[in-house]
Amino acid sequence: MNNVLKFKNKKNTVAAQDEIYNFAYLDENTKRMIRRALIKALCIPGYQVPFSSREMPMPYGWGTGGVQVTSSCLTTDDVIKVIDQGADDTTNAVSIRNFFKKTANIKTTEKTSQASIIQTRHRIPEEKLKEKQILVYQVPIPEPLAFLEPRYQETKKMHALSEYGIMHVKLYEDITKNGHIETAYAYPVKTNDRYIMDPSPIPKFDNPKMNNNPAIQLFGAGREQRIYAIPPYTEVTSLDFEDYPFDPSKAPHKCSICGSNESFLDEIITDDDGNRSFICSDTNYCNQRMENN
Amino acid sequence: MQPILSVHNLNKYYGNQVGCKNMNLTLYPGEVVGVVGESGSGKTTFINSISGNLIPDSGKILIETGNETIDFLEISESLKRLLIRTELAFVHQNPRDGLRLDVSAGGNISERLMSIGQRNYGNIRQTIFKWLDKVEIDKSRADDFPRTFSGGMLQRLQIAKNLVTSPKIIFMDEPTGGLDVSVQAKILDLLRKLVRELNLSVVIVSHDLAVIRLLADKIIVMKNGEAVESGLCDQVLDDPQHSYTQLLVSSVLQV
Ligand SMILES: Nc1ncnc2c1ncn2[C@@H]1O[C@H](COP(=O)(O)OP(=O)(O)OP(=O)(O)O)[C@@H](O)[C@H]1O
Ligand SMILES: [Mg+2]
Ligand SMILES: [Zn+2]
Repeated sequence: MNNVLKFKNKKNTVAAQDEIYNFAYLDENTKRMIRRALIKALCIPGYQVPFSSREMPMPYGWGTGGVQVTSSCLTTDDVIKVIDQGADDTTNAVSIRNFFKKTANIKTTEKTSQASIIQTRHRIPEEKLKEKQILVYQVPIPEPLAFLEPRYQETKKMHALSEYGIMHVKLYEDITKNGHIETAYAYPVKTNDRYIMDPSPIPKFDNPKMNNNPAIQLFGAGREQRIYAIPPYTEVTSLDFEDYPFDPSKAPHKCSICGSNESFLDEIITDDDGNRSFICSDTNYCNQRMENN
Repeated sequence: MQPILSVHNLNKYYGNQVGCKNMNLTLYPGEVVGVVGESGSGKTTFINSISGNLIPDSGKILIETGNETIDFLEISESLKRLLIRTELAFVHQNPRDGLRLDVSAGGNISERLMSIGQRNYGNIRQTIFKWLDKVEIDKSRADDFPRTFSGGMLQRLQIAKNLVTSPKIIFMDEPTGGLDVSVQAKILDLLRKLVRELNLSVVIVSHDLAVIRLLADKIIVMKNGEAVESGLCDQVLDDPQHSYTQLLVSSVLQV
């Protein structure tokens, strides 16, 4: 919580940053508004708090929600890591990292363990997170009931009254059609035994990592203007049936670089003949394993 | 024995237009009350007002759950919605209004089960098959989508979807309306069978006296938004007191 609650005082942030920008781009009033939403979100795990999303110098769908949340949490001594599908070196991750370097003049890292704030799209790092770390998720569609009910007022009521039968109808249909629960990404969870939440399009393999995690998990949806959160050490369970329990397993392969059979893998085509191999989607995890060997 | 549902002096206006006024109803467990009247007489307004679909202007609705008497118009929105999806059921005239068309037949039947906390896929499947059987739809259609069903099948599916959790009170607005006569007869037979077998407590609306005579124990005759006559079905239909009921009986039942 410390980082979230440590409100920035304008005066001592001016030091070496680019004069054109306020610290971390957003003005202080906006940050205060977002922090209020974040604190409310942390108090009601999994509940979607509306906030008024600002124009960011990047289009919606490129992490504007996550960036606004991160901006509002940043302090001068934070160290930030940005990943896109687990990788630190994709264009998107690099540009968001540069954005914070430029507008907040703070340290960046690729090492999960050294980051105080990690902004992510579609993954949770393999390395266990610790207390005082913050994981910020970029969220495209925050509403898990949206597939069924497009009206905001109605979904709000359904959440308020825990009218969640339809979520299991979706899983029922999945099993009936495929013989098992086919949903592999954005697999819905129940937070603190109360609110059903969309974990953003992370693989279901990552779902168990949300449960009882020592770090703070914050979710920002820019276009949809919602923020939600999981406080440290909160119970997060994936929806399932007694006789079709949630199964987070992944493809039974090893990383062809580091040999790990515990990490989530990306399938890649390795040559013109279409040969395929599997490598860790978490590049930092893979690199660390190689360095330690 | 206490009534499971009682309605006192219920009024609903649409602006200055009367929807229904000064309506009373008493429903005992295992009883079927039929509401009959010509088009525009206020039947739909009445049944919607006592089932939570419409908010009446005034009146009192008491529901007996077994543990307590619930003042339906005074309880919170959340309790009301909970009641609607557990203790009450509503069968619409148009089955499309009561079904999810992009969810399989079985999925439709499963929803109420899962909303009351059932989490065993195998058991839910068995319950679905049992109910398809009860409403005379072949089990093999469980995984088909409602859009591939005929009108009569859709209505039977809607009935199964509503009855699967054994609700205390079932409301039906013209459940056989909009169907071919032969299909109507089959749905009526089915409803009669279910009412007997399951000892259902039902409020049913129809403009068709024959439907009411076949299913109902008690009858309320409506005209211009008001009840002109009510009582035991056989008594009212055999010996109608009000001139409007006499007209209805003589014009319909002779056929
Ligand atoms: N939404 C509405 N707004 C205004 N007037 C309405 C509305 N719904 C119904 N009414 C009027 O209220 C009266 C009762 O209508 P209602 O639909 O309850 O009758 P009904 O007995 O169900 O008729 P039908 O047999 O045609 O279904 C009618 O005069 C009708 O025009
Ligand atoms: Mg009507
Ligand atoms: Zn690897």
